[in-house]
Amino acid sequence: MQPESALLLAALTLPFLGAALVPVVYRLLGERTAYYAAAVAGATLLLLAGEYGAAVAAEPATSGVTYQWIPALDISFTLYLDGLSLLLGFLASGVGVLVFVYSGGYMHGESGQAKYYATMLAFMGSMVGVALAADLVALFVFWELTSVTSFVLIGHYQRTDAGRYAARKSMLITVSGGLFMLVGFLVLAAASGQADGLSRTLTLVGTPNSLVANAEAVRAALKSSGLFVPAIVLVALGAVTKSAQVPFHIWLPNAMEAPTPVSAFLHSATMVKAGVYLVGRMRPLFLSETAVPAWMLVVATIGLVSMAITAILAIGATDIKELLAYSTASHLGLIIAGYGLANEYGVETGAFHVLNHAVFKAALFMVAGIIAHEAGTRYIPDLGGLRRDLPITAGITAVAALGMAGVPPFNGFYSKELLFEATYYVASHEGGLFWLYPAIAVFGSVFTFLYSIKFLSLFFGSKPDGLDAHRPPLAMLLPPLTLAGIASVIGLNGVLGTFDVQLPVIGEFLTAVIDASATEPLEHGFEYHVPTTLSPYFLMSLLTIALGVVSYPFYDRLHHTVRRLRALPPVSPNWYYDTAVSGVNGLSRSVARTVHDRRFRRYAFTVVTAVCLLTLGGYAAAGVTLPTFDGVAVTIPVALVLVTAVLGAIAVTRAPSHIAGVLTLSILGFMVAIFFVLSDAPDLALTQLVIETLLLVIFLLVLDKLPTWYGEVRRSRLVTDTLLSGVVGVTVFLTVLLTTAASPSESIAGRFVELAPVPADHGLWILEHGGGNNIVNVILVDFRAFDTLGEISVIAMAALSVLTLIGMRGHGRGDEGGESA
Amino acid sequence: MTTDRQPTVIARTVTRVVVPFILLTALALLFQGHNLPGGGFIAGVLTCTAFALVYIIYGRESLRTLLGIAADGPGVLGGITGLYARLFAVGLLVAATGGVVSMALGYPFLTQAVLYLSDLPVVHALTAVPGVGTLELASAFVFDLGVYAVVVGGLLSVLSVVGRE
Repeated sequence: MQPESALLLAALTLPFLGAALVPVVYRLLGERTAYYAAAVAGATLLLLAGEYGAAVAAEPATSGVTYQWIPALDISFTLYLDGLSLLLGFLASGVGVLVFVYSGGYMHGESGQAKYYATMLAFMGSMVGVALAADLVALFVFWELTSVTSFVLIGHYQRTDAGRYAARKSMLITVSGGLFMLVGFLVLAAASGQADGLSRTLTLVGTPNSLVANAEAVRAALKSSGLFVPAIVLVALGAVTKSAQVPFHIWLPNAMEAPTPVSAFLHSATMVKAGVYLVGRMRPLFLSETAVPAWMLVVATIGLVSMAITAILAIGATDIKELLAYSTASHLGLIIAGYGLANEYGVETGAFHVLNHAVFKAALFMVAGIIAHEAGTRYIPDLGGLRRDLPITAGITAVAALGMAGVPPFNGFYSKELLFEATYYVASHEGGLFWLYPAIAVFGSVFTFLYSIKFLSLFFGSKPDGLDAHRPPLAMLLPPLTLAGIASVIGLNGVLGTFDVQLPVIGEFLTAVIDASATEPLEHGFEYHVPTTLSPYFLMSLLTIALGVVSYPFYDRLHHTVRRLRALPPVSPNWYYDTAVSGVNGLSRSVARTVHDRRFRRYAFTVVTAVCLLTLGGYAAAGVTLPTFDGVAVTIPVALVLVTAVLGAIAVTRAPSHIAGVLTLSILGFMVAIFFVLSDAPDLALTQLVIETLLLVIFLLVLDKLPTWYGEVRRSRLVTDTLLSGVVGVTVFLTVLLTTAASPSESIAGRFVELAPVPADHGLWILEHGGGNNIVNVILVDFRAFDTLGEISVIAMAALSVLTLIGMRGHGRGDEGGESA
Repeated sequence: MTTDRQPTVIARTVTRVVVPFILLTALALLFQGHNLPGGGFIAGVLTCTAFALVYIIYGRESLRTLLGIAADGPGVLGGITGLYARLFAVGLLVAATGGVVSMALGYPFLTQAVLYLSDLPVVHALTAVPGVGTLELASAFVFDLGVYAVVVGGLLSVLSVVGRE
């Protein structure tokens, strides 16, 4: 069943339109822009919800909506809506509504609000784009848009060093991962061209010729060319950088520099989910039917290891947002591991936990924002006993944190239980080292339990002296309350499931989400309930909780151990990142110092040498052959002119003063003009003459400022200058020789000669022909007018840069001035 | 110009006589470009030469008063440079707008057309007079005007801003 294409397009464009209007709205509404943004998000949510029926019934081979985009490259703009994309769209727009309302309270009195809301809305649109795009190119574009908007939002406090550092770090890591992903996409497209019964396509899903609809054939083509595992790794690199998996998790804790609503929106519920979404979307394409698929070895291993490591790191956090950041990375690891495991419980884990995590984590981030706002600190040792001051917030935290810990019957429990089930099945099936999967899952979950309880404990125990929290405004309380409500409903549905009662919609929707990533649809719809028998995986859940409870008294000792360990440079990815970045910075600074030493001679030398070497290197690499020399054929006038030109050139080097030099140089120029005249090129001659004259005039203008006489030239400088001039001469000579030698067999000139003048037989309007007798001019302004437009743009740009350089002079500060000069 | 040497009377007189001719030639090159040697680019460079001549012989102030521009304000775009900068911006706009118009009419970007008027009875009577020739209006001329404006504006901005230093 196909969704209504107009509605999908509307859902996609609405947030961007909304973002474009923010500056105007902000002028009218001021801080209430938050509610305008919430309304835009709400409308997007409704538009997507209207397509619920189509999404549930989506078919990978037919349900896409295709628009022409770049037909020359076989790139279409395809939109596709199934359970998974609908879930991501709901998260973007639904959490969006709540976050915008929350921002109305949180951002009160902050600066840069217009920028904030515009970027948030643009981000939301990009996220809806990631969800709906079924074309690899469109997906990549929206994917990078989320990175760019995230960069702006993380750097919201752009005057702080920490904000800038964090924004740059997230940008570097996610964008470089995205580039690997792009290479992976191109590998996929290339493989699709070799697959049986498939033509080269960049459409991922939704059309009969799409990759997912022909997964078997694409896999076979990838395997036959040996690119199967590389393709998985490349695409996975995009996902793990975006979803902050080890060792690329380091940008996420820094990203907490952003205002808290941004963290709740981008860095827990949506943007980091893009990587997870990609894994879920690619799963049916890459998961082959073998016993131990490469997909599982790569993806499930990354996911489980990240889940455990980042859960341990969360224990070492001293800031509540830092704790939540590591915890987010850990839960994303859980989801990725679920999608990586090659059985139906795995995909159920992934799909269900995307929803659960977004709900409880966004709520917890909002709680963190309330604490920071109302208690004035985010430092964990300074917090405690907040229950009395913030009773409702404490209730929200209890529901969300217990869900995060995986305590039955709260929502996170069910999806974590599914992970245990999936790992258990893989291990019991494959045996051996695969028992590590359930072991790591339990090990990581113990730490998850620990930090969840730690977060909850902020509300209990005794209140430190001097800690005083105010009631949060309603705008900040309602959104997390709504999320906690949703989490409770999901939990309640599990409890009811034990008694064979199911709430409507939840099961059906989750089934659709799961089917989108499953290799074959679930036989029965998806349902979940609190276990009533002591299955091995329920035992694993109980073991996790028991271990957590036993080790909780040692939390402080663990906390200090983790902090000490992560401070060791060799085990800290941050150390590698900082060393690499500062190394590259230093390198670029030293190169700039060498090349830009503020002396014209050095500038000219480096630029000219580089151009010549690149050109000559290009010729050498291309293995060009010189045309054969077959005698000289010049008329006597031409020979005279050329000899005079050469004499003029030699005379320039002997000229005693600038004036003499310039005047002798113009001999060369005027001889070239005469040469053009002799070669029947009046336009060129005219141009050459005029330019020569203008140059002469300009030279005379500046000569006043230069010393009249040349100084004594050092011998070494003379030698290098001669060498450089020689290299330039050789390069130009070779270039002229090679370019003029390669004349096409069919000349284009004849066509221009025919098309340029007014044809013999014509009407009032002449379109095909240039209608002018001067072919050169007709080519310039008609046939090749686009080239000319480019050239005059270059003139305009050159003039602009001169204006800017002179206008900016004296504005530079210290070192930076040197770099921009 | 801040030199201690004043241009000679000969130079001043020659410049005064020659500059109008240069400008006239430039205009002629611009208009005849479609059928004879010339065109927007050459005409632009030639116009710049005329300005540069005035500039060197009479100094920047003369040009400014001649064109009736207010004295240089602060900033790089103050005074006459701002005028030049606006000129090349407008030129680029004119050239690009011509292309967009052809798109709006359903042709590819920058398609040019010629309106051939000589066949109309009224015009034909005029063009039949010996020495008048044909009469046609080429949309490419608009583009050429843009080129002319960009060249004149661009070169003169550079000249004036560098000259001010």
